[in-house]
Amino acid sequence: MRVPVVVKVGAFAVLVMAGYSGFANSIPQIESKPPQELSLEGGNVTPAQLVKAGEEIFHTKGTCEICHRIGQKGTRAPDLAGIGSRAGKTKPGMSAKAYIMESLLQPSAYIVEGYPPIMPAVDKPPIALNRSEVWALTAFLESLGGTVDVTLNDIPASVGAGGGAAAAAEIKIPGDPKGGEAVFQGKGTCIACHKAGKIGASPVGPDLSQIAKIQTPDYIMKKILDPKGSGTVAGFPPGVMPQDFGTRLTSKEYVDLVAFLLTLK
Amino acid sequence: MRRHSCDFGNKLVFREGFPIVTFARRGVWLVVLVGLALTVLAALPADAQTAAQNASKDPAYRAFPVFGSRLAVWAVAQLHLNFAAFILGVPIFAVIIEAIGWRTGEARYDWLSHELVKLTFAAFSTTALLGALLLFLFVGYYPKFWTYMTSIFFPTYWVYALLFFAETFTVYLWYYGWDWLSGSRKWIHVGLGVLSNLFGTAILVVANSWVTFMMSPAGIDDSGALKGGVWAAINNYTWMPINIHRLIANIVFGGTICAAYAAFRFLGAKTDEERARYDWMGYIGNFIALAAFIVLPFAGYYLGREIYAFNQTMGITMMGGFMSWLWIIQAILIGVLFLGSNYYLWLGMERIPGSERYRKYVPPMLIILTLGFMIWATPRSMVVTLDEARAMGGTHHPLLGFFGVMSAKNTVVNLMILTTFLSFVLYRRANKIPTKPWVKTGMAIQWAAFAAAAAVVVFYGVYGYFVESIVRIGFSVYQVLAVLGAIVLVMAIDIPMFKGAKTTGQIRWGTIAPHSQYVLILLAVTFTWLMGLMGFARSGIRQHWHVYGVMRDTSVDAATPALGYAANVITLVTLAFFMLVLFIFWLGGLGDKGKAEAHGHAAPVIAGGSGRER
Repeated sequence: MRVPVVVKVGAFAVLVMAGYSGFANSIPQIESKPPQELSLEGGNVTPAQLVKAGEEIFHTKGTCEICHRIGQKGTRAPDLAGIGSRAGKTKPGMSAKAYIMESLLQPSAYIVEGYPPIMPAVDKPPIALNRSEVWALTAFLESLGGTVDVTLNDIPASVGAGGGAAAAAEIKIPGDPKGGEAVFQGKGTCIACHKAGKIGASPVGPDLSQIAKIQTPDYIMKKILDPKGSGTVAGFPPGVMPQDFGTRLTSKEYVDLVAFLLTLK
Repeated sequence: MRRHSCDFGNKLVFREGFPIVTFARRGVWLVVLVGLALTVLAALPADAQTAAQNASKDPAYRAFPVFGSRLAVWAVAQLHLNFAAFILGVPIFAVIIEAIGWRTGEARYDWLSHELVKLTFAAFSTTALLGALLLFLFVGYYPKFWTYMTSIFFPTYWVYALLFFAETFTVYLWYYGWDWLSGSRKWIHVGLGVLSNLFGTAILVVANSWVTFMMSPAGIDDSGALKGGVWAAINNYTWMPINIHRLIANIVFGGTICAAYAAFRFLGAKTDEERARYDWMGYIGNFIALAAFIVLPFAGYYLGREIYAFNQTMGITMMGGFMSWLWIIQAILIGVLFLGSNYYLWLGMERIPGSERYRKYVPPMLIILTLGFMIWATPRSMVVTLDEARAMGGTHHPLLGFFGVMSAKNTVVNLMILTTFLSFVLYRRANKIPTKPWVKTGMAIQWAAFAAAAAVVVFYGVYGYFVESIVRIGFSVYQVLAVLGAIVLVMAIDIPMFKGAKTTGQIRWGTIAPHSQYVLILLAVTFTWLMGLMGFARSGIRQHWHVYGVMRDTSVDAATPALGYAANVITLVTLAFFMLVLFIFWLGGLGDKGKAEAHGHAAPVIAGGSGRER
């Protein structure tokens, strides 16, 4: 039987494409996941935890590793081995901590000789680290040969305060913040663990007094419904926050609660 | 209707006057479609405005059933772009071919041009429908994103709609006016072809402004709102490079699809005449694809440079981050295209008497292409186990690691382009013996131009290892200029040198080995797949952003998938594209069945088909 041309050509085309697909599936599979937000504000964070969180940011959300190496000379950016001790001597009168923060937030202020001025400000989109993350990253860089002495207060309050991304993707929650405050103190029992501005004082969970400034609405909404899946703030024990708010609160109570939390800036 | 005769090759055929009735009947449904599309375009901005006012009530995303929204948009966008590339690319060379036929009086060119526009025409409404479907998906499943895009680009929607309107009717007039505007009015017809291309290109650049804004936004303030006029948003970093890259790529794509269509018809041909005709059409399609393909890498460099200029992080993520392996796949695909195109030319030389003189050049050219292919496909660094890394002394192979860098890759791609150009030059002169008195000098200059270009390419390739990256990037410009200079110089000598040359015999069209036709199909499939891959790269480098650095993707599909998944999607969509193309071409051919002669577009007889030589 003679095979029709369309079948022969079709089989050939499928074979070619299957070959390309097969090859693409045989090489290392790397998925680019959106970075998670890290919040350390109000937490009891030890320097070791801070450095660990900073190291994580260095390899992931900060995308530092694309250009910088530690212990290896890079062609695009300087080797960061020993930066903790070296940073204090780079610019006269400037401490290691200040130099590192300036490098992160205003990278073009000082360019290391032999390298192009290509580093973006890490608190601006697309990297857009928040205040906690800049704090942790600074601590990690200090730890590379130096002493970790950076505190949250050293990080300007304007860092990670929004910008284009926040404005463009802003979510306006139609809830009632006053109603949400009542839920926070009443049915939600959030006050048992969290402080929120003038309300509450419990140190069991992170202080939420500035949560709207340091976290996205998406994170806040997800955290209430799925605390475990949203990660645990460094310095706090995991698994304490109840998992049943999604069934315990009504839709209105949930929306009101989110609206209230978004007023905490 | 008027009726006049013309000499069509060595057949006398009659041409009909302008078929008004057919035009009206066939045109009605497309006019309705265009009207519908315009209504949608006019209504959507209003919807988007309302949506913006009611933003708090509307969700940012909706979920497409079963497949998910991302996959739905991805598949429809890729299909739409495939069809759009075809209908925008083919008319560019169709009008050039028509103009050649008009000026030379060779009827076969007019036939070919008509045949090409017929293919375009059949795909026209499918492109529009897919475009409308894509718009519906954006509005329905990504409403917030679309609202934002509308807030920036609203004025361009009207421009797009008007251009679409103008393009549709110009192409209609061009296609249906083929007989009506023949003879002394041919210049008007060619003019319509040029005009439809101008409108088509304008549509392309308007749509490109939206997609490039998503990659490299400009003209907006910190809150993401437009600062001044819309022009600043249109004229972003990647807009012009993408315009140029897509325009050239569309020509390549159109050429490969037309060549594959011809190959398909060749393989199913029943007569020698038919085989000869489609062999010739396949050759022309491949020639067009190859000619445009040679300059495509240069447009790619330009685009890459502008991506780095816009944002170093984006550029580095693209080339050295999670996407680095994508370029290895790209290298393999381009290697297949280079090898396939050259192999087709070498096979084609077999049907040219006198080409035996040039067979000795094939082995060295094959060696250069193969080595170039291997070097281009060498990864810079490899994902290896700790033991493997220790055994190798690092993530870079001690020897092969040298070939993984841009210096080596730029060098070999330029050498591959030079080699492919040499293949074409040899094919071109296969059955010709120049008679000009200055032949020896001309040949010597041509070979010297090849040698000089190769020397410049190799010199800067090697030198690139000893300088900093910022300097090295500039070297690729010298390499490109050397190759382009050689191409221009060689052709400037070749054309007059072979004018009036003695012939060693005519090309025996239709006698090419049948497996050569599978090479044409391989090229079309590979290029279509490559387009899908590059689409994934362009979109994927935005990572978790709808609009890079401005509007974050907070949907469940915010992660950028790995290459394996992307490749599977690309394969399935490419398969769907070819099945649709097959169906549409079959559908388009139905109307012509049994009335080719009556319609005035009888196929010309091509030399070799019936054993005769012309």
